[in-house]
Amino acid sequence: MPFRNVFDEALSVWAPIAAAVFFVVSVVLLGAIALNRVKRREKLPFEASKNTPVELGYVVVLGIIVGGLVFGSFLWNSRLHNGVGLAQAQVTTPAARINVTAYRWCWDFNYQAAPVHVTGQCTVGDFPTVVVPAGQPVEFNLTSDDVIHAFWLPDFAVKRDVMPDHVNTLRLVFPHEGRWRGRCSEFCGTHHVTMDFFVRVVSPEQYQQFLHSGGTAV
Amino acid sequence: MTATADRPAPVEPVASPGGEPGSIVGWLASTDHKRIGLLTLGTALVMMVVAGGLALTIRTQLAQPQLHVLTNDRYDQFFTIHGSLMIYMVMTPFAIGMGLYLVPLQIGAPNVAAPRTTMFSFWLYVTGAVVMLSGFFTDSGAADHGWYAYPPLATGRFTPGQGVDLWIVGVALTGLGMLIMAGTVLWTALLKRAPGVTMLRLPVFSWSVVASNLMVIGAFPSLLAAVGILAIGRVRPDLFTHNAWNIGYQDVFWFFGHPVVYVMFFPYVGAIAEVIATFAGRKFFGYKFFVVSQLLFAALSMSVWGHHMFTTGQSSNYYFSLTSIALVIPAGIEYFDLLATLVGGRLRFPTAMLFGLAFIPQFLIGGLTGIMAGTPALDYQIQDSYFLVAHWHYTLAAGSLFGLFAAVYFWFPKATGRMLREGLGKAHFWLWFVGTNLTFLPMFWLGFHGMPRRIPTYLPADGFTTENLISSIGAALLGLGAMVFIVNVAESLGRPRYAGADPWQGHTLEWATSSPPPTFNFSARYPIPPVHSYAPLLDLRREREQVRSAVE
Repeated sequence: MPFRNVFDEALSVWAPIAAAVFFVVSVVLLGAIALNRVKRREKLPFEASKNTPVELGYVVVLGIIVGGLVFGSFLWNSRLHNGVGLAQAQVTTPAARINVTAYRWCWDFNYQAAPVHVTGQCTVGDFPTVVVPAGQPVEFNLTSDDVIHAFWLPDFAVKRDVMPDHVNTLRLVFPHEGRWRGRCSEFCGTHHVTMDFFVRVVSPEQYQQFLHSGGTAV
Repeated sequence: MTATADRPAPVEPVASPGGEPGSIVGWLASTDHKRIGLLTLGTALVMMVVAGGLALTIRTQLAQPQLHVLTNDRYDQFFTIHGSLMIYMVMTPFAIGMGLYLVPLQIGAPNVAAPRTTMFSFWLYVTGAVVMLSGFFTDSGAADHGWYAYPPLATGRFTPGQGVDLWIVGVALTGLGMLIMAGTVLWTALLKRAPGVTMLRLPVFSWSVVASNLMVIGAFPSLLAAVGILAIGRVRPDLFTHNAWNIGYQDVFWFFGHPVVYVMFFPYVGAIAEVIATFAGRKFFGYKFFVVSQLLFAALSMSVWGHHMFTTGQSSNYYFSLTSIALVIPAGIEYFDLLATLVGGRLRFPTAMLFGLAFIPQFLIGGLTGIMAGTPALDYQIQDSYFLVAHWHYTLAAGSLFGLFAAVYFWFPKATGRMLREGLGKAHFWLWFVGTNLTFLPMFWLGFHGMPRRIPTYLPADGFTTENLISSIGAALLGLGAMVFIVNVAESLGRPRYAGADPWQGHTLEWATSSPPPTFNFSARYPIPPVHSYAPLLDLRREREQVRSAVE
């Protein structure tokens, strides 16, 4: 699952940097307060109100940090859109190509390879389950019939807005078989909260059976 | 610090512009920047109480799974009006209103430029707030499309009620009012300064207002355009069957929507800079770097709006990620200067200082998670989730709101001539310090684990229960703290302890005049002292100390 991998990698770089910055600022802040309580109460405060060389040097350090963060952001962004397994999907036909239509308040999934149609009422016990093959590129073509929705798979750290009069293409590889929950994350009205669906990842053979049976046997 | 006199400082009788000073007409038709400023600030605080009430109701509903204190539709109205009030009617007007009250005093001007126009802008603001809230009294209730009102959801087709119409009119009136008020305050700061007050002797707070109001001038016309487009969609919803108008609305809206985030930040960080310098007893460190970084911040803020739209697939991931992360440079300089002012200072810890100090680590959490939101690979997970809710509440509530209260505790004695109670103030601070972090920290976890924003309830099986309960308990502490603050204000007004002209040993010109200041701010009795730097009163105090030690 490239999205999750890229997300995890980005987070594993970003989180220690953020923690270090937070730690340094907190130590300086608490140190200034503690030092003041012990020592500086009766002394006059420092007179200096500027130190241009130090600040200029600091700006250079900030610039380097920004350069690194921007480089990381670009690298991960590029991997998301052209990463391993996905570059191939750009040129070859994905194993599963699914047209997704969101509407208030549920989802339609139409498979391009066969006349298979999955939908539901998005009420308890009637959430649509989209079936996809494991380990092969899957392409979702997302559009909406009415307002803006968003297609979110929290376990895969991936989200795309689903907009009317526009198709967003999302290519993914699901490495493992299993069943995961998807949600609408862009507020779309009264029943936004129940606009869920499931992604069921099966073996490529089972997926072919699913298609040939017209969307029943898995 | 406790130069508390036992009777009010005499205010010289000067002819007041517009009606008897004490009368209602004297207030409502005033052309005195202090009165218009206090009206704006007071209105914003009242709106904050309303918005806080809505938030507490929301947190009550989310405290446990499947609670139905409100229907889904009513819940949607509550979070929409909570967000709309806090952004359009509280944090923005309070930021601009602080500038209106303080900038003329800090620069030694007798009044704001174009005072009648400024008064008009206040009336636009109040009318806008009343119109927006009046939506609750229509049959279909108030607007329920979220504070950024994306079409097609906000069009007449999908949200037909009058609440949305009233929301559009309310935002347009307030937006126009704030644009005008920011304009007159900017005009004042640039062209009405007393002799000796050069631009590079402008106090740090006044500079933050200049930078902030420049953004208002650049960004708020875009808000008026956006709500204009929405107004067309109310009668011609077919417009928004075309993608160009939907994505176009988002571009136009966020061109306003990102700079306004910094309008709700700059004046508060400026206030905190004054508070920290004053209670560290030394000049604010790195003044020129701070000024330049604010201008750089303001300029960059106009080019980052697309990071709100990474998930639309119709934004430039590379460009907007670059500009957004570049904000680390000016923000980093501001943090350096705040900390460098603290280190080596002789610190005092009244309530204003406590709010100022807590701002530093809390806003930092908001800033660091903001870098995440500016990185598309991370943003694809956190966008529209509770993680994002936590992120901007750390910037706006744990950050700017702490700046707001630092400013209130710091300047209340100047504006009213009365001291707030320190004991109650500290109770307020600690309730808010604990409450804010209890409320918003668990939301980071909730967002990572799949809780979308704007859902009215959740299931026990979702596994969100514990974190939501902690968050709701934190919200209750915030409500309690707000009540302590209201009691504090009532107590100080009802049983006054009078403040002298300069209860904190302030650095800037407003502390050289009486509390409250006379009609035209300075007078023969309270003349403008000589200004040789951005901390003129500190200079005077140092000179006097030197003379005294030379005599001895």
